[in-house]
Amino acid sequence: MATAELSLKLQSSSGSRVKDFLNANMVNILAAFLFLLLAFFLLYPIFAVLIKSFRGPSGFTLEFYQNFFSKNYYYQSLLNTLLLGVINTVVCLVIGFCLAYMTTRGPWILRKPLKIISLVPLIAPPYLFALSLIILFGRNGIITRALDLHWELYGFGGVVISQTLAFIPLAYMMIESTLMSLNPNLEESAYDMGASEATILRTITIPLLAPGLLKAALLIFVMTIAEFGNAAILGGRTPFLAPDTYTMITGESDFNMGSVLSVVLIAPCILIFFIHNYLLEGKKFTTIGGKPVASEPRKITPLIKIPFVIITTAAAGAIFICFAVVVAASFYKILGVTDRFVLSNYLDFTSNQAIYNSIRVSFVAAVIGAVIGVLLSYVIVRGKFFGRSFIEMVSLSGFALPGTVLGIGYLLAFSAPPFRLTGGIMILALNCVFRFLAVGVEAGISKLHQIHIEIEEASADLGASFMTTFFRIVLPIMFPAFIAGFIYTFMTAIVSLSAVVFLVSPGFQLAAVKIFDAAVYGEIGIASATTIKLILIVMLCMAALNFISKKTKIGSSMSQKGVS
Amino acid sequence: MLILKNIHKFYGTNEVLKGVSLEVKQGELVTFVGPSGCGKTTLLRLIGGFTDISSGDIILDGQRINDLPPNLRDTRICFQNYALFPHMTVAENVGYGLKINKWPKHKIAARVHELLDMVELQAFGDRMIDKLSGGQQQRVAFARALSLEPKVLLLDEPLSNLDANLRLVMREEIRKLQERLHITTVFVTHDQFEAMAISDRLVVMKDGLIEQVGSPIEIYERPANEFIAAFVGYVNFMDGRIESIDPVTRNTAVSTPYGTFEITLEQDDIRTGDDVLMVIRPESVSLSIDCKQGGKNILCGSLKTYMYAGSLAKCTVMIGEKKMIIDQYNPRDAQHFKLADKVEVEIPRSVHLLKKK
Repeated sequence: MATAELSLKLQSSSGSRVKDFLNANMVNILAAFLFLLLAFFLLYPIFAVLIKSFRGPSGFTLEFYQNFFSKNYYYQSLLNTLLLGVINTVVCLVIGFCLAYMTTRGPWILRKPLKIISLVPLIAPPYLFALSLIILFGRNGIITRALDLHWELYGFGGVVISQTLAFIPLAYMMIESTLMSLNPNLEESAYDMGASEATILRTITIPLLAPGLLKAALLIFVMTIAEFGNAAILGGRTPFLAPDTYTMITGESDFNMGSVLSVVLIAPCILIFFIHNYLLEGKKFTTIGGKPVASEPRKITPLIKIPFVIITTAAAGAIFICFAVVVAASFYKILGVTDRFVLSNYLDFTSNQAIYNSIRVSFVAAVIGAVIGVLLSYVIVRGKFFGRSFIEMVSLSGFALPGTVLGIGYLLAFSAPPFRLTGGIMILALNCVFRFLAVGVEAGISKLHQIHIEIEEASADLGASFMTTFFRIVLPIMFPAFIAGFIYTFMTAIVSLSAVVFLVSPGFQLAAVKIFDAAVYGEIGIASATTIKLILIVMLCMAALNFISKKTKIGSSMSQKGVS
Repeated sequence: MLILKNIHKFYGTNEVLKGVSLEVKQGELVTFVGPSGCGKTTLLRLIGGFTDISSGDIILDGQRINDLPPNLRDTRICFQNYALFPHMTVAENVGYGLKINKWPKHKIAARVHELLDMVELQAFGDRMIDKLSGGQQQRVAFARALSLEPKVLLLDEPLSNLDANLRLVMREEIRKLQERLHITTVFVTHDQFEAMAISDRLVVMKDGLIEQVGSPIEIYERPANEFIAAFVGYVNFMDGRIESIDPVTRNTAVSTPYGTFEITLEQDDIRTGDDVLMVIRPESVSLSIDCKQGGKNILCGSLKTYMYAGSLAKCTVMIGEKKMIIDQYNPRDAQHFKLADKVEVEIPRSVHLLKKK
């Protein structure tokens, strides 16, 4: 019986070579196809920016770079951006560390509230803080008027404050996760050997955290210098690279200089991306097995407790106030000036139209992004072809790229034939897909690492072809990753501003751009109301994600049980 | 001397220690043993100062140390995962406490040298921690804990991350060192055999309470209740009733559904007419082929399974409806037993009795 089947199989295989070839090489074919997509929608636009920065009317030239480095204005812009990055990174790290320390080592009653408030900014677009600072400290700001102050919010200081508040959650999350992975027994051992709280921090906690802190610092630095919204809204006359790129393109239509600014901005980002991913890879102090218990609160000495409590409550308080004033401002024409409760901000037609457009764009982006993300992660984890790690690097690089660069890149690459895409929903959606591909891919990779390859081999062993295995086995298991990729992409796409601001056409406004315009033109009420709507949408997405991750935990444990 | 007085510990409303009292003598090795969740690790952390005590007292050499933080207590702990500092060398790990306590440099070097000598890691001082094997890491952790000559050494499942053979070696080494240094030691483990092998006294815990304190022999041979009897090894229980006790020889007749047995009674609290539970250890029973009936303490049964495993054979014997597990050591006659059907089971006179409540 068995031999009969075997010979039957052998016959059929010699009968259809094409099918066998496809079967054996499907992963490679899929990889090639995905690589073409990445090359076209991610590498080509970046390349276009690079070319544009070197090509004048008469071919190759360094004129634009000379221009950049000779003009004080541009030079200042670079310096401001780097300085902003450094200050921001340091402040965010300090606050993030204090927060993480208190929520993992501090007294129980402080842990939960501090954690919640530290993470709240995640549900808001980062430019919310620019908005709240205008409401509080702007020329007509509540505090400005109440205290009759004469200061200038618009400038370096304003940008630093809003950026810091915006990036606290990122710093907090990264530091908290390294602190959580630090075996509490290590600090307890030092404590046991006679070390005081400060000595433990100095000799054990911080040295062990150093690689994690460095990683967090690099990431925050990149995100800060690339962030567009806060600097564009609050920058005033102070030049920063990201908003300057925008004015260069939209104001002066100088694509060459715009490209040069982009290249200057992208250089540190790429450098840091490499340091982050390759030099620091595996630079982590591994601790030896055993199950660490949750850190019990220690009797923290006042010397450390008092500054930590002051810093954390100040940060948490500031975040809370920023949210509160945006909510308040959304119900007034101009808060503090015309104190009449109105709903008109929420009913504003252009705002709602923009929200509707944003949902459409983000939905399309999320569908495409989730599909490509799942396929890419499969190819990256299971593929055995040359260039696999290159594909991985490219697909994860979108996050490290400043949005403005990809915005200009898409303008340059897809606004003229043969690849004309501008003016529609597709260019916006595709831009979001490839900028935010990393989340979908990472969700897929982590899911795939949970599945033993034996499951697929078992399927193949039972006679299934690659396609059958992929559709009947891999996709069902990957479904949670698909959904997670979908929601993540949707959430990030709907609040993202820096790239789409270049790509929206006059008749097709997006919510993020609408908020930006309204904030710049002083329509604070409408800007606030639109922000609140976005926050509500993001909160819905988060709830959905939470629900799914709970569901899939059951799902994954079931699949594991199925194996054993 | 370490004294624990009526210790209670609450986590919220959950009471994990429900009144624990114990005295540990100078130089003694006492082991907390019990199933997971019994509170043994919490008790150890309380002694170390890592967890606040809810009520009760901890007294070390006459001084009440309840409120002293770990860095001011003369207790040192060795964690299950060793908690060696991965960013330091072996010597830096061992010398950490000395440095913290502001020892002069040359004294630190000498002491570290001495400690590494003691744990036979002289050549490893400059190594990083992740370049050591599990057993070596264990020794480093041990040396570090001993560096400041603590009054009490606390060991939290120190052997559970080692493989089976190394565990046996390390537990011997730890015991030897502990006896040589005459250091008061509290050891925590969930492995009852490890506990019996290493300790002067065992403290068997369950649900936040101490069930019994005693030497390994006392705990194994004369367990205080069913839980302890079953926890420290396999046991066959058999219901019975005391028919008579000879006041001089302590010869006691116990009647059971399977016949009457004659044993030597050791306890004083058992009287004629009491309902008891016989604690029959698998290795205390002798087994022979065929059943001639008759003779004291002899039962006839049918051999259900006979699993030969070299040094011993594990047997299941049915006495009527009752299943008994019997360990036959040095099973020379395995060939015959494998084919046997009827067997003779002899219950020893030394069987321990538990009084039923």
